[in-house]
Amino acid sequence: MNEFVVALGWFGLYAPVALGAIGSAWGCALGGSAAIGAMLDSEGGYGRFIGVSLMPSSQVIYGIVIMFSLQQPSVDAANGAALFGIGLLSGSTMLFTGIRQGEVLASAIHASKAKPEIFGISLAPAAVLEGFSVFALVFALVLAGTIPS
Amino acid sequence: MSRPHQYIALMTSLPHLGKLFSRKEVPISQFRLKQRLAMLVPEHVALLREMVEVTAWAGVAKYNQDIEVIRRANQVIADLKDYPDLQNLVGARMETRTLIAALRRRARGQDTAGDIQSWGFGRWCSQIKANWSDPAFGLGHFMPWVSEAHRLMQQDDHIAMERLTLTEVFRQLDQFGTRHEFDFEAVGIYVLRWVIVERWSRYNDDDARKRLQSLISSALNGTDVAENIASTQVFSTDNSLNFEGVTS
Repeated sequence: MNEFVVALGWFGLYAPVALGAIGSAWGCALGGSAAIGAMLDSEGGYGRFIGVSLMPSSQVIYGIVIMFSLQQPSVDAANGAALFGIGLLSGSTMLFTGIRQGEVLASAIHASKAKPEIFGISLAPAAVLEGFSVFALVFALVLAGTIPS
Repeated sequence: MSRPHQYIALMTSLPHLGKLFSRKEVPISQFRLKQRLAMLVPEHVALLREMVEVTAWAGVAKYNQDIEVIRRANQVIADLKDYPDLQNLVGARMETRTLIAALRRRARGQDTAGDIQSWGFGRWCSQIKANWSDPAFGLGHFMPWVSEAHRLMQQDDHIAMERLTLTEVFRQLDQFGTRHEFDFEAVGIYVLRWVIVERWSRYNDDDARKRLQSLISSALNGTDVAENIASTQVFSTDNSLNFEGVTS
């Protein structure tokens, strides 16, 4: 049983990085596809399209920060379950927000091509999703401080 | 490139078409559009071609009988089995054509709908037949544009009639378009809208009037009607979209 909990602990420790990386990759690919398409139909402003399409990169960075905060001198039966719970759930948040952020960024790029003046405001939904990722990061850090080492 | 990403790149590479009648020039040429559509997989290109063929008058002009076009439309709808909204869209276009064909038949003096199954398509056939004498075929309460179309037809205001028809078709496309942003349906809806905008951009009021007069004359004289116009057939709604020919 102890070995299983230890395995779960290691799983939870690495989950934020792995799931965050998947979320970021997926989100950046969605946003990047929109940026590439938009560049075909634009005479300029390429930088801003590419710039916003990279917004979902932050999820993997948050995942790395969470992993470091969860890191313990040793993973054992006492802290394995906590590492698993915090790591898996925060990682899932990063995965989901990364993908959804990519989708709303693609929509924002698409819409702002038709109406360039809404470019800034169209990023608001992506910024809100970023905020949810930050919530998950901050409270993962808070809880990481209470894990018995 | 995977499918979702492909559609995102394709849709964002297409310029915004804007509102109908709002611009004189089409924002993307046929050549460029075809170039962009090359991103689609061959099966989707074939489906798109079928859909445009059955919804554009030029595509159905080759058929001599309405029933052949109805058969073709049913075939296209069956081919679009994986895309219910496109099926509904093609059906809605055919129903709109049926209504306009009925208005034209009545304006020409036809007393009854006759064998409507041979020239009409869709849900409203029995309603049209039962309410032949009603200006809007008993459908005015939820399709007010039919009454307006009847009034314009009575006044022989063909240009206004054309605008009304295009507006209705564009509204249908907008309605389906709200549910799709980055998928095959979105591409199909964009292309159908482009066809309409492109035709309108070719419009020249004077030429259109002359062309329409010649078509009406030939229809009344019974000369070469099939080649020129399908004014009393289910597909008649698009004939006037086609004064300058269709590029799709």
